[in-house]
Amino acid sequence: MMDDILPAELPLFAVWVIKAVVIFGSLISAAGITTLAERKVSAWIQYRIGPNRVGPFGLLQPLADGVKFIFKEELVPDGANRLMFRLAPMITAAPAMMCIAVIPFAGEVVIGNYNLGNLSITDLSVSVLYVGALTGLGIYGIILGGWSSNSKFSLMGAMRASAQMVSYELTLLLAILSVVLLAGSLDLRAIAESQASSAEGGIGVWNMFLQPVAFVLFIIAMFAETNRHPFDFAECEPELVGGFHTEYSSMKFALFFLGEYCAIIVMCCLVTTFFLGGYDVPFWDSAPWFIQLASFVAKAACFIFLFLWVRWTLPRFRYDQLMGLGWKVMLPLALVNVTVTGAVVSFGWSPLITPVLAVAALIPGVILFARSNPGEASLTGHALSEEGSAS
Amino acid sequence: MTTRQVVTIQIDGQDVEVDASKPLVDALHRSGTDVPTYCYHPGLSAVGSCRICQVEVQMGEAPGRVVVACRTPISEGMRVFTSTDKAHAVRRECLEFLLKNHPLDCPICDKAGECDLQDFSFAEGQAEGRSSEPRRSLDKRKSLGDVIVLDEERCILCSRCVRFMDEVPKTPQLTVSGLGARSTISTFADRPLTGNYQGNLADVCPVGALTLKKFRFQARVWNLRKTPSTCGECSRGCSITNEVLRNNELKRIRPRYNADVNEWWMCDTGRFALEEHSLEGRLAGSMIRGEAGMEPASAREGLERVADALRTHGQPVLLGSAWLTIEEGQALVALAKQLGTEARFVTPPPSELADELLHTDDACPNRRGLTEVGMRAIDAAEALEAIAGAEVALLIGERIIETVGAEALAELPNTVRLFSFDTVALDVPAARAALGTPSSIERDGHWVNVDGHRGMLTIARPAPTDVATLIQNFESLSRLITPAETAGGAAS
Amino acid sequence: MVIVKRKELSFWERLYLPEVFQGLSITLRAMFRKNVTRQYPEQKLEVNEVTRGQPRLAVNADDTIRCVSCGLCEAACPAYAITIDGQETDRFIEREPERFEIDMLRCILCGFCEEACPKDAILMSDELELADFSREALVYDLEKLKRPVSALQPRLDYIYKLSNRWNSSSSSS
Repeated sequence: MMDDILPAELPLFAVWVIKAVVIFGSLISAAGITTLAERKVSAWIQYRIGPNRVGPFGLLQPLADGVKFIFKEELVPDGANRLMFRLAPMITAAPAMMCIAVIPFAGEVVIGNYNLGNLSITDLSVSVLYVGALTGLGIYGIILGGWSSNSKFSLMGAMRASAQMVSYELTLLLAILSVVLLAGSLDLRAIAESQASSAEGGIGVWNMFLQPVAFVLFIIAMFAETNRHPFDFAECEPELVGGFHTEYSSMKFALFFLGEYCAIIVMCCLVTTFFLGGYDVPFWDSAPWFIQLASFVAKAACFIFLFLWVRWTLPRFRYDQLMGLGWKVMLPLALVNVTVTGAVVSFGWSPLITPVLAVAALIPGVILFARSNPGEASLTGHALSEEGSAS
Repeated sequence: MTTRQVVTIQIDGQDVEVDASKPLVDALHRSGTDVPTYCYHPGLSAVGSCRICQVEVQMGEAPGRVVVACRTPISEGMRVFTSTDKAHAVRRECLEFLLKNHPLDCPICDKAGECDLQDFSFAEGQAEGRSSEPRRSLDKRKSLGDVIVLDEERCILCSRCVRFMDEVPKTPQLTVSGLGARSTISTFADRPLTGNYQGNLADVCPVGALTLKKFRFQARVWNLRKTPSTCGECSRGCSITNEVLRNNELKRIRPRYNADVNEWWMCDTGRFALEEHSLEGRLAGSMIRGEAGMEPASAREGLERVADALRTHGQPVLLGSAWLTIEEGQALVALAKQLGTEARFVTPPPSELADELLHTDDACPNRRGLTEVGMRAIDAAEALEAIAGAEVALLIGERIIETVGAEALAELPNTVRLFSFDTVALDVPAARAALGTPSSIERDGHWVNVDGHRGMLTIARPAPTDVATLIQNFESLSRLITPAETAGGAAS
Repeated sequence: MVIVKRKELSFWERLYLPEVFQGLSITLRAMFRKNVTRQYPEQKLEVNEVTRGQPRLAVNADDTIRCVSCGLCEAACPAYAITIDGQETDRFIEREPERFEIDMLRCILCGFCEEACPKDAILMSDELELADFSREALVYDLEKLKRPVSALQPRLDYIYKLSNRWNSSSSSS
């Protein structure tokens, strides 16, 4: 019966549309659920219950929040650049959402007779570059929003955010670069599959273990890249009221909010793909696509939880500490790590040797650090406040 | 009054020059020493019945003796000690006896807050009584006429009230009747009190035994804002204190000591002239003649009506009230000069309450002052005559409508354009506009009394927001009519 | 001036990451602790006589109000929330309030009025909830403030126990 109505094979365009709608819709819903999760996690950490009034266990709370945002008064401050002010939230949200297009969620999807191809909106051969470009674009929205608000707090937030993003994007991309070197491809799907044992020449070890230094650096940098605690200087409340979105209200603010959560989800998907083998299911190479998807989602969810967990645990850095950490610690470490990885790849050594070499390469640095005056090389830059006036 | 003899005595170690014609307690008070008194009142004879003003006095080398300061004449070289242990002990014992039968109803008592007994008990007395016997139980609500209620339990039998009636209005009506613990204050043969000075009894009573029926339970005294002022009920111009509750209702008028005018006293006519300042029926803005009679309007609109009439019709009649202050009188005279007319003030009929003590037969509080600034006094009949013959007439000042007579004004023909500045609205056929004006507790200025003493008025409560003072109104009027005058002068 | 010397950080503390993990472990453990949330409208606070709720006026068993409108609570009130006008009554206490208003929006529940009251007439009840649609409705008049003394008895007993300020025999009739 069904066979009569439906065509034997779906047109490529239809497959794209279906995948795009489903994946994009999932992203938006996931962002909503993440806001709820954020409130729940913060509540649990503070011995509270969290939202539990809207729907069962407060599950409809994101919906209520959305409705609230819609009904709020929309304000454009006097003296604001109206065009840029309206554009900024879109520019923030769009790149974060666009990144989802290249994330490989699972392998081939087969439903009934239909083969929908790999589960990602598209498989781009240079998807790492695409992702790198788009994450860099997100900052434009924040800068524009901060500048066009015609408010000193917004502008300061935006300036901080841009400096921070520039600093940490370097580390982020260098960390990705070591992974790319190992995989030998700029395609996210290829990187993911290179970590699976089923892949050709694959050794079945996740990059997390092959590249522990890059993994840690990536996680730290991704916190900074998404403007999340402990690096949320763009919206540092005690200093900047609300930071770049001080003047925003209603749906425009909601869009910033949505963009932030989409960025988190995308970053979690990326870290899963780069370091946790993507949709790889350990010890089950021929897992069906939905198991792969579940594996991917579970891994990404763990990182989302990490985001929330860290937010409600760590205090915010001081600004000079942030910069010191980014330039004086993370960037050198990333460079060393890339050098070591490059050496391993170019000499054709087994990738398994990489972590040993990378950690070994850190030893001189650690010794230097341990012997140094705490004021000079402190990661947290405590000494700056005591000696800063003299310098 | 005996002549002043200055002698030097020592009070608590300080040499002080004092007037020896007064009792010692007066010297102590004048030198700023706080000695309590109940039966002693500077305006009354001293009897020394309450014994609370006892101090230790040393003369020469003799040991100190405790004496009542109100009955001790001053002599040169006296050394007075008010706060020695001995003096304190004696005073505290006296106080304990006074409090033995005094009920603990300060929460109910109207005197609380300004009660001498309460103040001194708080400063010096014991917090707890030592007596286990019940207190006297007497009549707590004994009416002594229309003005005063006596609470016999609270009375400490200082006899100030008895002496007041004997010595000030010289109409003895009160006495201490009964013996010992059964003594109470009563009138002769329980007749109600008469006279125009009964209200002072509540003032002289050091406790809450004699209270005013009109003020009873009306307000707690610490909530009253007290402003010095002058009474306007006759030409005596007694110095008074206006006491206003919550910026709103005038609750009480009390005499204020003024050696030249009224000393400590005032008559009941002035004391109970509270209705004059009632907020009921008060004209808060202005009323102007509309299609359906007098309609509420802003003060500005009312004033413009007055100015229009003054511009278009010549020879207005300006009639001031007898309650105008000197300052208002001067402003009115200036306005009259500008209009080419005469400023007069309307006097109420002579009072029938005149007496030897304070109340005069002249009901104008400022007759002398207004005459001095160049206004002529006319009576109501003359005023009506002047209005009837005029095209425009301005009635200016509080109580002017009442003085001229609202009924007589109602009979005036429509051809007279009548404007009023009064605390109440003028609603007669001839009226074109009625503007509000501050009453005498809402404005400041001066009155000159019958003897030439200046009495001041101060603002006890703010006037309604849309009510300007007369002086402001005169200035506005003067501005409004000036261009027309100049234009008319140029044309002729 | 006090100069506080910063504690010198150890090597592991300076590395920062171990400290981060320590912090994370603390919050992780916190997540599994019993929560302390009180689900307010369903789960009300258990109040007892120690609670200073909104002030109320005690009414005797014979339906007469204890207050003699002495104005001491009005004078004691630091927030100027109380307004009283008295009137004469035929009862023994001679005076009772004609108007007794407490602006509950001004009231700070400090209990000074209760402390000032010589008649045990104004007492801090256990009523805590205060919500309405207009400011005027939250200016409580005499009728809204009256409570039978039996409802306020625990508080009365408590304040007597708390401070033996008055002889129990001299409490109001």
